[in-house]
Amino acid sequence: MPTTRTWLQAGGGTVVAALIIAAVAQAMNSSAMWVSNDPVGECGQTSGGAVVAAQNVLSAGTGLKPVDGLWDAESEVATKAFQAYNGLPVNGCVDTGTWVTMRALMVSLCDPEFECRGPDHRVRYAAPDGAREAYFADNDCDWGSYVLPGVARSPVPSNKVMALSRDAVTEIECEG
Amino acid sequence: MVTTIDEPRIRPEWLLGGAVTLLGAIIIIVVTLVLGAREDAPVITPVDATELTVGTCAEDLRQPHWVPKTITRAVVECPADISAGIGRTTAEDHLGTWISYPLDGPENEETFRGGPGLAWPEEEVRAGAYHPLSAITYVAYPGSAELSDELSGDNVTVETEDLAGSGGTVRVTRVDNNGFGPVRLEWSDDAGSYLLLSTIGRTPTGNAGPTMAELLRIADSVAADDE
Repeated sequence: MPTTRTWLQAGGGTVVAALIIAAVAQAMNSSAMWVSNDPVGECGQTSGGAVVAAQNVLSAGTGLKPVDGLWDAESEVATKAFQAYNGLPVNGCVDTGTWVTMRALMVSLCDPEFECRGPDHRVRYAAPDGAREAYFADNDCDWGSYVLPGVARSPVPSNKVMALSRDAVTEIECEG
Repeated sequence: MVTTIDEPRIRPEWLLGGAVTLLGAIIIIVVTLVLGAREDAPVITPVDATELTVGTCAEDLRQPHWVPKTITRAVVECPADISAGIGRTTAEDHLGTWISYPLDGPENEETFRGGPGLAWPEEEVRAGAYHPLSAITYVAYPGSAELSDELSGDNVTVETEDLAGSGGTVRVTRVDNNGFGPVRLEWSDDAGSYLLLSTIGRTPTGNAGPTMAELLRIADSVAADDE
């Protein structure tokens, strides 16, 4: 007959195992699927790496300039136009549904079984005078934004991969 | 006897009438010429969509043989162009080749006038009046049999569809926002892996972009006439 102590040990072990599995699943989901970002806009973050990512997609999708990692009225109007065209609820907030929609527009530059270096995904919109593009990098540790010259403005540097998940605008560092 | 012969006189009203007639004729000719020059060139839909990429790096690429009639041109991006655009950070032989097919028609035209801002009326923004040009993007990754990671999310559906003509199957990923949103078709064969991407857009007058049936037919046509 198992003692009370045995039952407690078994129960505790089960809880710990469940927590570990949940943490691993969450980590895999956040790094691979790019859908667990915090909301951006009046409903969430108004500065930092996630704002850079959202503005980067909006620059390609609506012509928003500049990408500076600081949420403003122009960013909100661009979000509403993006949401309306894509059938989303129009609230000006880059929420989960909007993030998922943006993620679906990304296309790998390299063949999917090859690990590209540098920017490896792109959102591209055809435009009357050519195209508008936004680049991203799916590094091992995090997603990053790669903003083109002419679109980026300080504190966002162009042609650098900026971490998407940081509160501040920071160049990606997987070692850290 | 003195005979007076009246010299023929040009009466002023005749002069005025002639001038008005001449001016009218000139106006009619000029207007006709101007309007004629502004008429769109006849739309020539290629018999085979591969004709749209003749003379480019995609000429010998496995690519769609059929596109909707509203597509009359294609924009090709070669791996060398893409590599240059990202600072040559990766090997060109692993980069895909992109073909972009812009769709014609007023509902598919870009409607941005200046950048987004308070000059865009709120009601028009909410109605979908400010939207990009609709296009279908096709990317071919020769030599690769893998598909990209499967997407997930509350508004994402992933299904496998059979292609009636070629006998293949495609993975269809839709971000289904009340019938609108991005659509991705991905598949592979013994020559490589492929992606078709477009957006079914919401506009004040209806839909922009292609239909699901058209996207499936495009994918099906890639394998057409393969020898």
